[in-house]
Parts: sequence; C-alpha cells; structure tokens
Amino acid sequence: MFYVSMFFQYLSQYIKTRLQYRTDLFVEFFSDLLSQAINLIFILVVFGHTDLLSGWSRDEIIFIYGFFLVPFAVFSAFFNIWDFNERYIVKGELDRILTRPIHSLFQIILERLELESLLGGITGIAVMLYAGSRLGLTIEWYEPILFIVFVIGGALVYGGIFIMLACISFWADARTSLMPMMYNISNYGRYPVNIYNKLIRFVLTWILPFAFAGVYPAAFFLEKKEWYWYSFLTPLIGIIFFVLSVMLWNQGVKKYRGAGN
Amino acid sequence: MTQRAIEVDTLRKEFKSYSSRSGLAGAFRDLFTRNYKVVPAVNDISFTVNQGEMVGYIGENGAGKSTTIKMLTGILTPTSGKIIVNGMNPHKQREQFVQTIGVVFGQRSQLWWDIAVQESFRLLKKVYKVTDEQYDDHMNHVIKTLDIEPLLDKPVRKLSLGQRMRCELAAALIHNPPLLFLDEPTIGLDVLVKLKIREFLKEINEKYNTTILLTTHNLTDIEALCDRVIMLDEGSIIYDGALKHLKENLGDGKELQFQFLEKVDLQAVKALTTGMPVKWALDEKEHIFTANVEDHDELVSMLIAKIVANYKIKDIKINETSTEEIIRNIYEKGAVEVG
Repeated sequence: MFYVSMFFQYLSQYIKTRLQYRTDLFVEFFSDLLSQAINLIFILVVFGHTDLLSGWSRDEIIFIYGFFLVPFAVFSAFFNIWDFNERYIVKGELDRILTRPIHSLFQIILERLELESLLGGITGIAVMLYAGSRLGLTIEWYEPILFIVFVIGGALVYGGIFIMLACISFWADARTSLMPMMYNISNYGRYPVNIYNKLIRFVLTWILPFAFAGVYPAAFFLEKKEWYWYSFLTPLIGIIFFVLSVMLWNQGVKKYRGAGN
Repeated sequence: MTQRAIEVDTLRKEFKSYSSRSGLAGAFRDLFTRNYKVVPAVNDISFTVNQGEMVGYIGENGAGKSTTIKMLTGILTPTSGKIIVNGMNPHKQREQFVQTIGVVFGQRSQLWWDIAVQESFRLLKKVYKVTDEQYDDHMNHVIKTLDIEPLLDKPVRKLSLGQRMRCELAAALIHNPPLLFLDEPTIGLDVLVKLKIREFLKEINEKYNTTILLTTHNLTDIEALCDRVIMLDEGSIIYDGALKHLKENLGDGKELQFQFLEKVDLQAVKALTTGMPVKWALDEKEHIFTANVEDHDELVSMLIAKIVANYKIKDIKINETSTEEIIRNIYEKGAVEVG
C-alpha cells in the first residue's frame, strides 16, 4: 500500500525534524507533560465540587472527560488543520501540494503531524483508570478493542467536522473565525448531553456530533445501558462524517483559486 | 514524429471579484448585495507546444501567466476550454498527471525547511515512486552538474537563495519528467548562478528532450534559452513565434555612436550625410554623436565609411535595439504586427 508506506516515510521525516532541535524537543516534552499534569489537577478540582448531575455521579463525569481526552489527542495529532486557510490558501502552499502525486488532504495531514499531542491521550487514560477504579469498573477482554474502535470513531468525527470547516476556505475568500468557535462548541461534547436542553442535544448528536467523541462512547464503559445504542453508532458516525468531509474537500479543491504571486 | 507536449484550445479562466462601494453606507449595502464583476484572467487562448521545445512565456504582472501555468499544472480548474498536457487532462487526472511534470515556483519552496536537502530528495523520491537505479542513474548527474553535492547534508533554511534554487531545480527533476514548468526560476539570483542554471536547462533539454516552459521577467534568460516566445497581455496571446523573428521585424533599426578625436560640429556631420536616411543627435556633455539608421547592412557600412573618411575617430559603438525595448514597445502599442 503506497499510502501506508508514505505515512511511514513522512513519519520518519517528522521525527528527524524533531530531532534536529534537541533542546527544543526536551523543553517541549516537559512543558507538554507539565501542562497535562496541570490539566489533570484542574479536572479533579473542578469536578470535586459537583456531586450529581442529571443522574451522573462525579466520578462518571470525570470518566467521560478522561475518555474524551483520548480521541481528542488522536485528532490533534493527525488533523492539525486549524490554520489551513492561512497556511495553505493565503500563502499558496496548496499549489505545492497539488503538484505532487498524493491526495492533497492526505499530504496535508502527513505534513502537519503533531504526535506530541498523543501525550494528552495518556492523561485521558490515567483519568479513566482513576475514575474507573473509584467506580469499581472491571475491564472485560473485549473492552480494550471497543475502546480503540470508539476512539478512532470519535477522532474521525472531530476530523470530519474540522475538515469541513477548513473547506469553507475554498469558497470564501475571507478568513473565517469559525475555528475557535467550533473548539468552544466541541467542549460541550465532553459532558453528559442530557444536562442540556433538547435542541443542543440534537445538535451535538446529529449536526455537530461532538457527543460521539465523549459521552456516548464513554457511556458504554460506564455500563449505562440506555445509551448503548448511541455508543455503537460512534464508529459509523465517525466514518460517515469523515467520508462526507473528504467528498466536500474534493469538491473544494476544484474551486481553489490560488494565491497571486 | 514530434509529439505534442501541451495542447491548449480556447482556454479561459474567469475570476469573480466584487468591487466594494465607498463609505460606511456603501459597506452596509455591500453586506446584502455585492457588485460582482467577472474578470477573465485568461481569455480564450490557444497554443501547442511540441515535445523538446523550450518556450518562454512572457507578459507583464497580472497578464495571466501564473494563471495559465497553474491550469497547465492542474492546480486550477479552467472555466472553459480544453487542455491536454502529456496526453492527460491535468485537473481530472491530477495525481497521475503530476508524475509526468516537474514544477519550480521561484518564490515557493518544494523542499522541507528544517531537514537536510538529501532527506527532502529521499522523501520526494518515495513520493514519485522512483527506483534506486533510476535515481542513481539520473540524479547523480543532476547533482554534479548543478554542483550541489556539498549542500546535500545542510538543512534548507541554512542555504543561500542561489544554493536553494539549484536544489529546488534538482528536486523538481527527481522523477525525470518529460515536461518542466519554471515560474520565475532566476528571480533574485546572481549572474553566476543564473548562468549555471541556464547551462543546466540546456543540457537536460538536449539529453532527455525535456520540454521546458519558462516564465520570467528576465529577458536575458529567454534570449539565452528559448527559440520561441509566447507573449501575453491582459489574458490574450499577442505574439507566438520565434524570438528572432520578433527582433528582426520589430527592432527599430540600429544605433551608431561616434566619438571623435577633434572637435566636430553637428551641422557639418549632418551636411556630410545629407541624402541618407539618418537621424543625428548629439550628447553635448560627452560629445557623443548618435546616428539612428534603419537596419540595412549597406547603409551602416556606407555611413561609417563616410564618417571615417572625414574625421579622426576615437570610438565607434553599434547598438541593436534590445529585446527589452522591443517588448516595451509592443506593450505600449498593445499589439504585434509581424509581416
């Protein structure tokens, strides 16, 4: 598979680039680690004050948050396209991408790998283990497999939505400030959706399905039977949104106007 | 026998742009209804380029050069018209098509900024699925000719512009494409690097019969490399043909400059050449006499003979109208009439 081999080629290139700046690498690693630790403490402090929210206990909410961190880390590592407009459209870098024989979106993903974001996933797993042990959850043999499937599904949901947002740049000239807003909306997916009103819940499930990167798949591991249906929809929604976003991308590339010299 | 490398038929690219109204009230009106204007950047052009040709594609800024190149390389979709490059439709079969072309954008880098040049080459080699044998066979030669061997282990960000451009050129040739697009390849480079790049382009053109389409503002590049030029103005082709032809037909004759050893009166010189179609001018400060004559061999020799017979001469210069002047004239007139 050409694309798999290209992935490893770019990956090794990425690692080489990182190793070029040794001090930078260490500083970054420690600052990442530190920010993850702060994040962890923050979560525990914030949720220390909540007891019960629409039928969810404090530890369950912490567990959902921990789960959310994992697909979000995968998304951040691979779909680093929040500055797509500026970097590729305004500066015209897409010209270069388009003169190479690899799918343009795939190239951009490869070029913008940021694997250090995966550290956040470790924090997430730590949070889940902590909350899970307090809830007395046991790990069945099939659960790690489902966990991976759900994480990939959640990451694809995120990836799909942000790719679609990036596609706006193909049609609109002006820079859009949608990205930060979307990051804010995505935050809502970290908490149990039944605490919101019906409209927000509908949006987070079907329009901007951020809930599929947080509460829905996490509910499965919390053994909330009434949410199972949604849990198992996660990979499907992920694939649907991702495929849609790639189709939109392919249309968008045709509309690309290029940057003047 | 000759193959068509590029075939373009009534190619058109329109851009929609809107003009904003003035003032705050205008800005509010713009919010609801915008004045769209459709501007053709490339206006129904047609041309063909045969395999192995070196063609200069020239025009002023905004004449549509870059837009054409971007359509030919599959970056932009044409509004209408037909393009076939290397037997393919650049935009429809993009990924397959770009295997057969090399592109150098003078103002944009193909190389990875942070890693050594050879690492970039290695990655591009994988991207273009070039085998080790092909690479060794072809690239060793390229690296040697462009003299970039000592640069290979340096990161791109530490290279000078001239060094980087040579590496860019090598990078564009990793898959040994039969067609090479060069957009301003010598912009900002010193004379030595320019010469080296020109030599190199000539060489690969001869060796591999590579077609080269070159856009540049530097007409000496075109003169040194291209037999044929395509000239663009406001999206339309205003000249397509041999550069030599353009010069012969549009060169406004020759200019002869004389400097004399003794003091000479302009009137006397004029009187000497009465009956000849010569226009004289005198630079008072430098005491240079300039004669503008039509490009007619006999006339030039007759004029020189007459002057030399009558005055002692310190210096003679014969200047041809430069390509740059010819092209400036064309743009001022807005059209080319070649006999």
